[in-house]
Amino acid sequence: MIRLLISRLLQIPLALLAVYTITLILAWAVPGNPLEGPEGRRPPPEVVAAMQARYRLDSFGGFYLSYLADASGFTAATRPAQPASTGVTQPFFDLGPSLQYPDRTVNEIIASALPVSMLIGLAAVAFGLTLGIVAGTLGALRPGSFLDAGTFIVALAGISIPTFVTGTLLQWVFTVQWGLFPVAEWGHPRDLVLPAFTLGLPTAAYIARLVRIGMIEQLASDHVRTARAKGLSEFQVITRHALRNALLPVISFLGPALAMAMTGSFVVERLFVVPGLGQHFVNAVQNKDLFLIIGVVLVYATLLMLMNLVVDLLYRWADPRITAS
Amino acid sequence: MIRILAPLALLAALLVWGLSQDSQATRADLVIVNRNEVSTLDPSQLSWQHDFRMARLVFEGLTRQDATDPDLAILPAVAESWTLSDNATVYTFRLRPSARWSNGDHVTAHDFVSAWRRMLLPDAAADYLTLFHLIDGGNTFTQWRAEALKTFAADATRRNNAAAATALWEETRQRFVADVGIHAIDDLTLEVRLVAPTPYFLDLVAFPAFVPQHAATLDAIQTIDPRTAALVWAPIWTKPDRLVTNGPMRLVQWRFKRSMRFERDPGYWDASSVTLNSIDVPTIEDPNAQVLAFRSGVADWVSDVSPGYRGDMIARKDNYWKAHETEIAPLRSAGKNPIEVDAALPADPANFIHVLPSFGTYFYNFNCGPTLPDGRPNPFADARVRRAFSMCIDKQSLTRNVRRSGEREANSLIPPGSIPGHLSPKGLLRDDAAAASWLAQAGYPGGANFPEVELLFNKDGGHDIIAQAISRDWERALGVKVRLVQKETKVFSSDLKAGRFMVSRASWFGDYGDATTFLDINRTGNGNNDRRFSSSAFDALLDAAASETNPAKRAGLLSEAERLLAEVECPLLPLFHYVEVSLFDATRLKGLGAHPRQIQDLARLRLLPSAESNP
Repeated sequence: MIRLLISRLLQIPLALLAVYTITLILAWAVPGNPLEGPEGRRPPPEVVAAMQARYRLDSFGGFYLSYLADASGFTAATRPAQPASTGVTQPFFDLGPSLQYPDRTVNEIIASALPVSMLIGLAAVAFGLTLGIVAGTLGALRPGSFLDAGTFIVALAGISIPTFVTGTLLQWVFTVQWGLFPVAEWGHPRDLVLPAFTLGLPTAAYIARLVRIGMIEQLASDHVRTARAKGLSEFQVITRHALRNALLPVISFLGPALAMAMTGSFVVERLFVVPGLGQHFVNAVQNKDLFLIIGVVLVYATLLMLMNLVVDLLYRWADPRITAS
Repeated sequence: MIRILAPLALLAALLVWGLSQDSQATRADLVIVNRNEVSTLDPSQLSWQHDFRMARLVFEGLTRQDATDPDLAILPAVAESWTLSDNATVYTFRLRPSARWSNGDHVTAHDFVSAWRRMLLPDAAADYLTLFHLIDGGNTFTQWRAEALKTFAADATRRNNAAAATALWEETRQRFVADVGIHAIDDLTLEVRLVAPTPYFLDLVAFPAFVPQHAATLDAIQTIDPRTAALVWAPIWTKPDRLVTNGPMRLVQWRFKRSMRFERDPGYWDASSVTLNSIDVPTIEDPNAQVLAFRSGVADWVSDVSPGYRGDMIARKDNYWKAHETEIAPLRSAGKNPIEVDAALPADPANFIHVLPSFGTYFYNFNCGPTLPDGRPNPFADARVRRAFSMCIDKQSLTRNVRRSGEREANSLIPPGSIPGHLSPKGLLRDDAAAASWLAQAGYPGGANFPEVELLFNKDGGHDIIAQAISRDWERALGVKVRLVQKETKVFSSDLKAGRFMVSRASWFGDYGDATTFLDINRTGNGNNDRRFSSSAFDALLDAAASETNPAKRAGLLSEAERLLAEVECPLLPLFHYVEVSLFDATRLKGLGAHPRQIQDLARLRLLPSAESNP
């Protein structure tokens, strides 16, 4: 267990370096000038020169190294200290300024958006997990029954209908028609319901299918028959013996699903006016906000790798037969 | 199972608790929805309409415009009075002793000097740097500093030497005092020497790029980057707890991508004229959510409405106006603007949408350079060809059937009526026969031998359907073949800059109340002259206007310059003038202006209590 943890933690920086290199190459190759104003209005040439020098946008190699040094914390100790009068505290991992929002640093933007996205993501996955496990188990108990077909159709719909359709529909019914939720508000637990539901629906559908398949297999297995023969109640058989094994594929799916849900969704955030991280993935590229692009990608990659690590550890806990390899 | 879910549930509960700590306590007096997050409140970085609107709330320049006046009359603001020298180039502003910063400090002439010096420095990378080149010595100062920074960065002996960088800054300050015509005679007297008479200068100093900046705050966060010798201002100074402002309101909260809250500043010199105690400005990017926020009463004013069903909303309003024609006619003949007309009509949800002229024009660029990007000769280098392509467009059908947003057809670059004293040319009206004959005279009878026209536009924003309509008009009237080329916005604009197009979609919004704000982009070599248009006659008219001291003669020269552009040279094809579509109940929200420049005095709006039934 410890060995797995250490070796994986050592791999993460290397993987991040690769992610950084590839992202920067791609982002650099995106045509267009990030320093341009509205409607293509251009700053005067002397301004462009000054900006390029300041942000080191004049050379790929220079930018690659200096950003790497700042973002990895390598220069945290040697960075020119801001005078105390400014009251500026320099972060250890400095992801740079935002070109689109000159009043903010990328660190600030991520710090304000990530908790919001994590909250929705967690709520969405929790909801997806609950609904998915219940629906999958119910379906597996009577394969081919009306209930099974019903959950199958709902699951299929959940996977295939894009979130902008379900989200719009939910918003129309619950907000516009019934007035149950306020429009465009963030800052109250009830504001979480619709976005989390919209985001969690595909997850629920996917988990339902995974659980159903696993359960059908488990319910026909020897250890379940033994458990039944021991005289355990059907409920105990299912929760203690069948479900535990049927959940293994769900756990491995959960890692990437959590990382994805926690870094936000462009569509859901836009629709429900949620100040999360997902919008920056799209907007930063459109604005060619180089620092923000790299910043959000690095954060996403880090989360994804950490989640996968957690999943691997969970896996070993759930099924001791798996060894570190 | 429980063991997996319990920590998750605990974490979620914590986050939900955190979320509920984060809610806005009370609704402000007025809620205005912005479609885009305000990108900055740093006066040097402002460049978007929504940024300017917020900046006008918290900052005040030497003068300000009366937003409800049909001509946007200039009112004294931080300056209580001013004098102009006989040769019309030296302004002396007398500052108001009662003008205060939000921290209680006096607003002094020094705050203007250091703010404007910052604007002139290439280090600050101000979008509107060139406006400050109207000031004597400004251009030379900027160029000198840019050159000095370049030399510094290239000089291995000085690079990364903090003392050398500081010495360069010291030299820069001395040069500024010696060479640039901005001087604080005393704490309350500001003298500004201009390069040439600039009749719109008093309008210009009301523009948020010209506001004062609190010198002590900026000095405290200013550092010199030893690598480039450039000044750097830590971006934190515009945060609510740090931003020192001198406008009618103060910024008290700014939650990124969520909302801003402004509250009246009791120390503002004219605080008694401020009618609102607080304003909330949430950012709602989704067009549907904007409309929902307004309908559900969350928002009082949505300034840039753009859902897919906007055309239908506008059509409903047109029907409402038709139904009330008898009431509207006398109001209009009494000179009421559309907002005042709406305010006099009975409140009706159909009438909550407002289409008001804006200070911008949608047009097509013709590449006027001698050759096309691939080296072939450029047919559009010939003004007769450009005239032919300009005269066969069904602009009426474009605005009525394609756009459906209440825009006015454009035959000139400058929106008519937006600049006092400027006479808009009537432009080239539609005449298919004349268009065909111009094309024939240029050597392409019936479109014969004319190379395939490439029409470049950016994706999104409905530019594709406009391009389709126009290309059909060209194919039908001129017999040419048109190929539509759609590109992603950033790629599109880099193509424009590099001149890689034949004909392209374009637009321009004016910044200040003078014709040059539109005409200058057609000067030879101007940074925004994507058309590569060069006419010595046009440039000469602008030059003559620049040195003309008689306002009427000057206006005549500029009108003639625009006539030359719109009726003879045609480097661009005006299609329609933009409108701003907004949502508000004119019977309740009072004080919004209808001037095309869309300047609003938000702090002085009034919101009447709602009638018993608010849909």
